[in-house]
Amino acid sequence: MANFIPAGDGTHTGWKSFVQKVGGNLAGMVIPNIGAFIAWGLLTALFIPTGWLPNEELSSMVGPMIINLLPILIGYTGGRLVHGQRGAVIGAVATVGVIVGTSIPMFLGAMLIGPLAAWVLKKIDAVLDPVTPTGFEMLIGNFSLGITGMLMAILGFLGIGPTVNAFSDVLGNGVKVLVDTGFLPLASILIEPAKILFLNNAINFGVLAPIGAVEAEETGKSIMFMLESNPGPGLGLLVAFWLAGPKILRGSAPGAIVIHFLGGIHEIYFPYVLLKPIVVLAAIAGGATGVATFAATGVGLVATPSPGSIFAYMAMTPPGNHFGVLLGIALSAAVSFVVAFFILKATRSGDDAADLDASKAKSQAMKTGDAA
Amino acid sequence: MATISGASVKNIVVACEAGMGSSVMVAKQLAKQLKAQEVSVTHSPVNQLSETDHDLVLCHRGLGSRAKQAVPNSVVIVFDMFLGDLKIAEVVSRIKSGDDISDD
Repeated sequence: MANFIPAGDGTHTGWKSFVQKVGGNLAGMVIPNIGAFIAWGLLTALFIPTGWLPNEELSSMVGPMIINLLPILIGYTGGRLVHGQRGAVIGAVATVGVIVGTSIPMFLGAMLIGPLAAWVLKKIDAVLDPVTPTGFEMLIGNFSLGITGMLMAILGFLGIGPTVNAFSDVLGNGVKVLVDTGFLPLASILIEPAKILFLNNAINFGVLAPIGAVEAEETGKSIMFMLESNPGPGLGLLVAFWLAGPKILRGSAPGAIVIHFLGGIHEIYFPYVLLKPIVVLAAIAGGATGVATFAATGVGLVATPSPGSIFAYMAMTPPGNHFGVLLGIALSAAVSFVVAFFILKATRSGDDAADLDASKAKSQAMKTGDAA
Repeated sequence: MATISGASVKNIVVACEAGMGSSVMVAKQLAKQLKAQEVSVTHSPVNQLSETDHDLVLCHRGLGSRAKQAVPNSVVIVFDMFLGDLKIAEVVSRIKSGDDISDD
């Protein structure tokens, strides 16, 4: 088939696939459980002492949910990815060992021990299954899971819990230093280009959300949830592509704006940047502006907004933080728009050929009935 | 490289990273366009492609190598845009006309 749109980055070096894969697995443990995160986030936003409707009794659910329920769900889902339902069960069991070994939300620990426990059980099942006599499947299956689960929970309690706890402390302190010294906006230099390479979920759910959850558990909110998920930079980019981009991209930009900003599916703007990679500079500038604004106004979100839609942002914003959050989103969109607009204008000269191709393509698309 | 006749495509899986966001969106669009052909269009995380039942896999170029790795014997078509992509339009027209579809 004719490959008419030049791929910005068509080659796949091994490391990128690898990072995507590892990150994809991390995200794969979190994303199916986002609904539970939202339930917890809403309970937190509403009922904690600094919330909309402070209520001591209802807010008593907040702690157990983030300390126990969410890590167990992550460990369960991580186990399921490796070894189906049996893996899920042992993942949940082993996660409890990690949880009680520490006092912080053990997302990272759950992401480690859930799949690990399932993997161990998978190996054990591979040995036991062929030698299990008929009629003993249930007995052996239940006890192999039970005994292995107990051992993995002990391993989690003694080994993984404390290790991850120490690691989280270092990570948390590092982030705190970045925030205190004002260097946090520099994170956008890494985050924005990585997003475009489809590492968005890996970064947000694999790295930032676990750090943010620890902070949110202590203070009720965290800026970590906003580093990757801010829909502002993408909005600015898409508007710039709409007004000044190559002609072929202009038609689809308004639809993409709605899907990105309201629907929260950021992936929709990545292809635009991949076609004009230099525009990533605009995303970085916009992202850094947003982070700087969030930090300067001292705002945060109660939980990770997923998907990264303006609606999810508003729902996860604690009382009193709306101005700073909206300002950060607006400024990041404005900065990324201005930078992208000038880059697109400045690099327009070479577009004549592309525009010719574009018009050809457009007529072809019309013929196939996909012009909308 | 794998090839399949457009006429025999009955199950399409659209893959993305999480299998819950962009792939759902593309799948919905595609299902609408292929309603008359009675093609079922579902979505999946790219890591779990091997567990899906499909004649044809679609995913964004950024995930193409991983998709091909997951299901090396399937026809994996990569696209560039989530809206109005020409490759997807071509797949649709080939399914309607029954022409061969192959990845490259």
